[in-house]
Amino acid sequence: MAIVDKKLSIRNRNKILVGVWQDEDNLVAAATALTHAGIHIHDIYTPYPVHGLDRIINARRSKLARIAFFFALIGLTLMTTMIWYMSVYDWPMNVGNKPLRFTPSWSPVMFEGTVLCTAFGMSFFFFWRNRLVHGIKNELLDIRQTDDRLIVAIETTADMDEKAILTMMKKNGAIELRSFHKGVQTILK
Amino acid sequence: MGHGHNHIEVKQEQFVFSTKAKRFSIILMIVGLVFAGIGIFTLGGLDNSHPPESSNVNHETESLTAQHHTKHEQNSGTLVSQTKENHSIGEESHGNEPNEDFGPRMVFRPSEKPASTHIWANLLIVGYFFLMISLASVMWYTIQYVANSGWSVAIKRVPEAMMTFIPIGFIVLMIALYFGKNEIYHWVHYEHLGLKPGEAGYDKILAGKSGFLNTTMLFAFPTVLVSIYYLLMRKLRSLSVQEDSAAKGDASFFKRGIRFSAVYTVLFGFTMSVLVWFVVMSVDAHWYSTIFGVYNFITHWVTSITIIAFIVAYLKKEGYLGVVSNEHMHDLGKFMFAFTVFWAYLWWSQYLLIWYAQIPEEMSYYQLRFEDYKFNFLLNFLVCFVIPFLGLLMRSAKRNRYVLGIIGSIMILGHYHDVWLMVFPGIFGPGMQFGFLELGIFLLFAGIFIFWVFTALSKRGLIATNHPYIEESVNHDVGV
Repeated sequence: MAIVDKKLSIRNRNKILVGVWQDEDNLVAAATALTHAGIHIHDIYTPYPVHGLDRIINARRSKLARIAFFFALIGLTLMTTMIWYMSVYDWPMNVGNKPLRFTPSWSPVMFEGTVLCTAFGMSFFFFWRNRLVHGIKNELLDIRQTDDRLIVAIETTADMDEKAILTMMKKNGAIELRSFHKGVQTILK
Repeated sequence: MGHGHNHIEVKQEQFVFSTKAKRFSIILMIVGLVFAGIGIFTLGGLDNSHPPESSNVNHETESLTAQHHTKHEQNSGTLVSQTKENHSIGEESHGNEPNEDFGPRMVFRPSEKPASTHIWANLLIVGYFFLMISLASVMWYTIQYVANSGWSVAIKRVPEAMMTFIPIGFIVLMIALYFGKNEIYHWVHYEHLGLKPGEAGYDKILAGKSGFLNTTMLFAFPTVLVSIYYLLMRKLRSLSVQEDSAAKGDASFFKRGIRFSAVYTVLFGFTMSVLVWFVVMSVDAHWYSTIFGVYNFITHWVTSITIIAFIVAYLKKEGYLGVVSNEHMHDLGKFMFAFTVFWAYLWWSQYLLIWYAQIPEEMSYYQLRFEDYKFNFLLNFLVCFVIPFLGLLMRSAKRNRYVLGIIGSIMILGHYHDVWLMVFPGIFGPGMQFGFLELGIFLLFAGIFIFWVFTALSKRGLIATNHPYIEESVNHDVGV
């Protein structure tokens, strides 16, 4: 399934510096210090939500709402077409001599269909985007990010002073430092 | 932001009801009175010179009125039976002699109603509206307690002040019921005429309901219910103020608050419908809708939240509530938005089922509103759903107190108009307008409400500094 979001895979990125934290207060302080020093943090992986991190690392708003709108439109179209085909085109349905087309009675089907499509669409998109769908290999920088460790990932660029970044992470309470490049992990001192 | 381990000392604030705000509320009252005055003097009802249309007078009605003429003088002169087009509703079209079965339905034309009916009807909806808003604010408050909600603690003194309006709303409602019941509710007429259920001339449907729908119950039920709500409200308020002076970290008041809140949520949730049946649904006494209670609840609930957001925004603007941020405004905006959608859901559900089933008894309500009040009916949907939905959809709109202010004003007036639309067509029949009198009475009570609530707000500290969740509220963050 390599065609799926190749660009998003951490294997296809530059060398990534990985810092491991144990305590979320230290992590917040470290993230603040790194961002203030002008270093762009690629992402932070935590097993539980840490309040304020999204603002500190200037995370963008989730685009999930747009996906929701997209799937809602699909659901609405699908359901309108379906009920039109069933009760107007294929077999005109006379219910209590009510009008045939676009009556209030269509609204529950249209509404519920829209909600159903939106919910499923959002869920599947969310799982796909987070590489949790069957068939996409999930890449974890550190398996302990699903347990009790907090992982900071910084993607290096040519003009970055890696040494300084590592020192800064160490100073702010990182208990472990590593680098990750093309699928190879290297433990740093 | 999330430094949970650092203890935060929350400063107490004292709200002062400024002369500017006082002046504003008094101006509202005066404008309201002037508008109401204009409204009263432009009523057609004052002109009683033209006689009733004799061709429409039903014989039975005529004899009934004649019989009780002395007792019923103020109404009898303007009594007109069901007109021909109203028969098409189907309410009484079960046989060739409909009135033999169901008795005369007394329908007044708005221009022929005395001015007193207009005043009582207006006092009824305004008292009901503000009573329900105060009760809904208690509900909001208690839900925060039972849900163990933390974010709302910093603003909890606002609904706490709004609750105090319960007695005023209730007294106004009771005055309207006591003096206006004959003119507002057509089911009271039979009692007023001295008829017993089952007697000839007594409406058969109403005779079946008379065990429940009688004037004793009309006063007893709301009085008992609101008294219980009021006592629970007093208890919750006193627990909250006692907490302020309790020892630091004493959660016992909070825990007792949860217990009383649980009682209120369950009690109010189950019993408020009865209040709605008596006060509003019995205006159209033949008609019933099972969703009507919750529909009324949601109308006042969303208005109540809007008013909470208004007061919080005002306090922020005046420099109070230092610990309240855009995050709290955002959540209040979400509440407004969410329950706007829920309002539309109930509005539509009630309409859809009646439309589909096409049972004449149920259709009568919508027949009148959809045929004779089409503009108001559609306007109601526009101002209570379409405008708030589109206006509050964006995240940035919910975090902007000016947008909330504009959309919220439309919502409050819109929901008042919604209550008006539930009550007035039932009393006056076709041809009424939401005019100066309605607006005036509303503004008058809005002024009284502001004055009363702000006075209550200034009586205690503005922030519940000793609440166990105050820190969580101060740190509240909805994220990017």
